[in-house]
Amino acid sequence: MGTGEAKIGVFICHCGLNIAGVIDVKRLREMASKLPGVVVCVDYPYMCSEPGQELIRKSVAEHGLNRVVVAACSPSMHEEMFRQVLRSAGLNPFLLEVANIREHCSWPHAHEPDKATEKALKLIEMAVAKARLLRPIELKEVPVARRALVIGGGIAGITAALDLAEAGVEVYLVEKEPSIGGHMAQLDKTFPTLDCSACILTPRMVQAARHPNIRLLTYSEVEEVARAGGGFEVVIRKKARHVCEDRCTGCGMCVEKCPVEVPSEFDQGLGPRKAIYIPFPQAVPKVAVIDDEHCIRCGLCERVCEAGAIDFGQEDEFLKVEVGAIIVATGFEVMDPWSLPELGFLESPNIITHLQLERLLSSSGPTGGKIIRPSDGKEPRSVVIVTCVGSRDERANPYCCRIGCSIAVKQAVLLKERLGPEARIYVCFMDLRTYGRGLEEFYAKARSEGITFIRGSPSDIEVMPDGTIKVTVFDQSTGKLLEISADLVVLIAGLRPPGDLKDLAAKLKIPLGPDDFLLEAHPKLRPSEAASRGIFMAGACQGPKDIVETVSHASAAAAKAASMLLKGYVLSEPFIAVVDEASCRGCGRCEEVCEFGAIEVVEEKTGRLVARVNEALCMGCGACSVRCPTGAIKVRNFGPEQILAQVAVASR
Amino acid sequence: MSGLTDLMTMAKPNEALKARIIALLARGPDMCLQCGRCTSGCTAFRLLELKPHEIVCSAKMGFVEELVSSKSIWDCALCLKCAERCPQEVSPYELILSLRNEAISKGLEIPEALRDILMTLMETGLAFKPKKAVDREGKAYGREELGLPALRTGLSEQALMALMELLGGA
Repeated sequence: MGTGEAKIGVFICHCGLNIAGVIDVKRLREMASKLPGVVVCVDYPYMCSEPGQELIRKSVAEHGLNRVVVAACSPSMHEEMFRQVLRSAGLNPFLLEVANIREHCSWPHAHEPDKATEKALKLIEMAVAKARLLRPIELKEVPVARRALVIGGGIAGITAALDLAEAGVEVYLVEKEPSIGGHMAQLDKTFPTLDCSACILTPRMVQAARHPNIRLLTYSEVEEVARAGGGFEVVIRKKARHVCEDRCTGCGMCVEKCPVEVPSEFDQGLGPRKAIYIPFPQAVPKVAVIDDEHCIRCGLCERVCEAGAIDFGQEDEFLKVEVGAIIVATGFEVMDPWSLPELGFLESPNIITHLQLERLLSSSGPTGGKIIRPSDGKEPRSVVIVTCVGSRDERANPYCCRIGCSIAVKQAVLLKERLGPEARIYVCFMDLRTYGRGLEEFYAKARSEGITFIRGSPSDIEVMPDGTIKVTVFDQSTGKLLEISADLVVLIAGLRPPGDLKDLAAKLKIPLGPDDFLLEAHPKLRPSEAASRGIFMAGACQGPKDIVETVSHASAAAAKAASMLLKGYVLSEPFIAVVDEASCRGCGRCEEVCEFGAIEVVEEKTGRLVARVNEALCMGCGACSVRCPTGAIKVRNFGPEQILAQVAVASR
Repeated sequence: MSGLTDLMTMAKPNEALKARIIALLARGPDMCLQCGRCTSGCTAFRLLELKPHEIVCSAKMGFVEELVSSKSIWDCALCLKCAERCPQEVSPYELILSLRNEAISKGLEIPEALRDILMTLMETGLAFKPKKAVDREGKAYGREELGLPALRTGLSEQALMALMELLGGA
């Protein structure tokens, strides 16, 4: 199959008017049909449609084709689909070459149709020249472990872990904090239904901890990731808690007696915690942890602990696990709004972030749910909420945080409810984008409750000697410059990728987008997968999301991972380096340049040195092929002969 | 003192007056989404110093005193386009009528043309006095010449009060 004289079919797609609106498809077909080796050339409005695919299958049978060139959109769109067409036509799927005459031609050169047509012909000629030299590739089934690693124990990670566990996959759920729960555990109520965040989250946390297929590793971080076989070998660092997890009963005696107080991270610095602490009442696992940085080793906790769980000698543990899939679910960080120049000099406890307000609203928060003006503990009578702080801002986050508007509406409603109808609540906004189901209605409810929405973004914010904050805002709807004196100012601060996401992405060898969140394999068709096999993403690590979107995204990632893992095997990568052992001299230059550690020069029984490629590790980058002095190592179907054939045509 | 200040006029919101003015409205200015569709279609746009959306949003924030004394509320053509087209069913037209009522009850001066209409109304019970019909040759005809019955003019005190009440005046 696929050998002997090349009989090439060229299939030109109109893509509606996307291609045919610019390129003279008829002329292209006439020219392409004269190319050497081309036995049939046809055009069709939508080659990706079922009749288009059938056209290819029929032509293969009718003309005995053994190579196929599709001139259409980018191969990243439909190459895999066209490979399957070849397979169903009885051809090896890798005897296909795609000429991208849309993204590389009709779209960028729409204003020069004649030149675009010429370029399209050139691209097809190059594809034909390469197609002639394509060799069939047989893929191997590589077994994968039915185990997955989920990194991050917020609502995204919990959801993905539970879905996988229910499907029969063993899951390691790794969380860097002492408890799972993530940001959702810090929230008071969720928009637009106003159901209590803890009430819907806590049972899921417990379920994850108790599930027989889930191994929960809190206060742990991913240390190393390496590809092995069809999956990964991962080293997890379990940080020393200095409290034995299986002994601690979570009674809290140690916390009570501990003499050291530091600001609580969970309460966003609005309240204290001890040096030994349980982050929040519903923490899972409900186990204390000693903060090494602040513990003075007075030993009081050890003395009062009836379970004998305190262990100052405990050290970090390293676990090596083998998994078939990794789901990244590391969430987001709320940016520091005081990093903006106009806010940087403002020092007032009465200016807080929306996440701090969540802690004030929460019944488990530092004030027990009482809204106070932090400077004097009095009840605020006037509150200003400012949206888009650091979002849609070229100096900070150019992107929208997606949840800020709905948070503003929710917090305004909750504040009105807690502070009574006389309290004045102002929301200053750039645009109010309450885009989800039920959220426009929620915004209408907020307006009907007398919350004042002002179309304008404040610039001058001033702290008065009595602690009052003066906010000056231009109201675009009335043309008035307004001054609001507020007891409390809430900044809806933008969302950022977690600080350590870059490191994790480097360990996983997956790319970030321009916004530094993880880049998905395809923005529409593969939104929960990384481009490299076996790695998936769930929730806000791929870009800001609300809870509904996060849960949907996490379930999607779990389904994608499960469909891969439950098959029990993955197909080997087609485009990897292979060594022609006869011409390999064993010089080791390929081994030197390989960034993935995929090549090793080994000594054969005869004493001869020869390079060997680890198929699981090779990413097909081709660096070895460039370096090889004898041309012995080549990436399949991307070897010098195929590439040079294209170059010859292109430079003619 | 917490709350709003208009930094150009140093005016403060008058919440009590706002409440009185919007009491009769089906959907108050608080529901405004600030889209500006009312102003985009306003028949009297060229005449108005304050545009419909500005009137609505000022009222929303409680800056109603300046609206009551504004000339703009009298320049509205009462065409009802804003009321028909508001996606939130906020009716700038109704708000303007309510502001007019407030202006009158405060005894503020109203434009002369409107005062004439008002006087006619009180005298005759009609917005405009009956005029003669004119044919193409320019000949005028009174009601009698056209065989129409004489108009009942004049308004009883009782009817006047009923009318005032209907219009929300006192």
